[in-house]
Amino acid sequence: MKLLYVNEEIFNISIHQKVKCEGCHADIKKIPHDPVNKVDCLIECHIIEPSSEQKFSHKDVDTYVKKSVHASVDKYGMPKKYQEDMPTCKNCHDEPLYRPLSFFKQVRPGISDTALGRCRVCHKKEEFILRFYNHVTTRLHRTRNPINIAEVCARCHDDPLLVERHGLSTRAVFSYRETFHGKAAGYFNEKVPDCLDCHVNTGESVHQMMNHTDPVSITYKENRYKACANVECHPGASPQFASYKVHAEFNLEQSPVQYYFTLFFIILTGGTLLPLMVIIFLDLIRRLFPDAVIRRRR
Amino acid sequence: MKHVLYKLYVIAFMFLTIGFIIVIWNVTFHHIIEEYEQRKALKEVTDIKEKRKREAEKTKFERIILESDERVKHYLGYRVIEEQRIEGHFHHIGFDIGPDNRSYCIKCHGDMPHDHVKELRAFLNMHAFFIACQTCHVKLEGSSPRVYKWYDRKTGELVPSPVLRNNAGSYNAKIIQIDINKMGEEQRVDSQDRIDFVKELKDREKELTEAQKSKAKKMIHEIVTKQPYICEDCHQKESPLLPLLELGYPRDRIDSILSTEVVGMIKKYTEFYMPRMLHPGEQVKEQERKQEGRM
Repeated sequence: MKLLYVNEEIFNISIHQKVKCEGCHADIKKIPHDPVNKVDCLIECHIIEPSSEQKFSHKDVDTYVKKSVHASVDKYGMPKKYQEDMPTCKNCHDEPLYRPLSFFKQVRPGISDTALGRCRVCHKKEEFILRFYNHVTTRLHRTRNPINIAEVCARCHDDPLLVERHGLSTRAVFSYRETFHGKAAGYFNEKVPDCLDCHVNTGESVHQMMNHTDPVSITYKENRYKACANVECHPGASPQFASYKVHAEFNLEQSPVQYYFTLFFIILTGGTLLPLMVIIFLDLIRRLFPDAVIRRRR
Repeated sequence: MKHVLYKLYVIAFMFLTIGFIIVIWNVTFHHIIEEYEQRKALKEVTDIKEKRKREAEKTKFERIILESDERVKHYLGYRVIEEQRIEGHFHHIGFDIGPDNRSYCIKCHGDMPHDHVKELRAFLNMHAFFIACQTCHVKLEGSSPRVYKWYDRKTGELVPSPVLRNNAGSYNAKIIQIDINKMGEEQRVDSQDRIDFVKELKDREKELTEAQKSKAKKMIHEIVTKQPYICEDCHQKESPLLPLLELGYPRDRIDSILSTEVVGMIKKYTEFYMPRMLHPGEQVKEQERKQEGRM
């Protein structure tokens, strides 16, 4: 049994707002419809891609994914082990929503009425203006908040069963959340890197994510520093800068050095500051009751 | 006075110290304990997850949809959309679907009871989401003018119209008809007596004979009409059954609901025909066209 409800108000702020129901649910020709196939994101829909004037499709995305670490087949075209674990479109994407930016005074996101006023000088159709404003400004920054990205990755990469099956070294998002970047993302800071910033070569589609053993991958040992050295992050970062274990869990088995190091500092901090606070508290009690005496019974 | 102020200062300082103790505890030793507990729980979570997955395959709509507890927040920068996450559901729901705790009908018939007529079942079940069963299946005698009100699906209490505060159809409330007794007092058709009766029947069903069960069912259904209200009773301009204005619907929405397009759509079922009201964004465009027309 499926829930078929579509929230129209939210659909209208989504990237697919111009695509009609039958654009994706292409084999529905009548009501009530016969049993239908699953939606194929690779079909050509009725939208015309303006630069090529061809019908729009996500076929290129599929090409990238097939060459990526998330492909269900290996480079020889043979099915990978546990290929059912490999993500399909809907595992990572629900309906993508616009995240428009208001640049005017750079104080708030959303739609700038001032900018819209400028659009209206030349363009007359309100629907066109809003749609293109949303489309363009959404593309100028993150399409999703770092927390939302991390949540998506966590569905697989924090699943202990999946991590074990694929021999992954860490619960990736759990360990990300332990880092400065992860903590800042938890406070809705959108300037910190999320999973995609470090796992995709700058300027490439996020669907081109490669295995860390692949020399062209940004996560390949010799390339890692390039992600950090991005001009928007830590320009000039050296290979040494990126040599630390980013996804170290607080875990004796996985990273004993980090574990004992962290444990030492936790005990040092707690072991000094807690008694200090207790002593201060006791001192304050004395200041509150300077003449109080606990007499022994004779 | 100075002495009192000093004491207050010390007390405030004590609270501050306690605060620091809590913070330091949380980020140090509590952190270690939490990690340990979390790792211990991981195994249990994995087992529960597996169990749930197995159960979900054979479970009912209510368990996988209505009681889905996984939530997700979409941070759009200028607004946050929070909703239940339903695995594999591409489109956004945008609100929580809570079970109808008031309806005694769904205890036996379920949330989506209309399954006989293939052509209509999706539309009827869609309406059952915000219209109580009794609104169509009970024809009260002598109750004129008919009174309809909204009740909250979760609490069952009568509530003010939720129409303007929510998206179409996503009200988490249902329209129920209200009986007016001889004294002129309003009485709910889904009275507490009827709810209790159904509950007791369900609880004691196994110990009842077939004759007793049949008698009980007859009593429950005594107010149910054999000829329920049909689509055209509401979707018509002359004298629609539901007083949509009183139920809080805005004028343009009423026009859309009462348009002949809806009934036409139902009658022209043999060919694919997507009504304009189901084309996303059409209502916004319609409003824009109207605005342009006024200018």
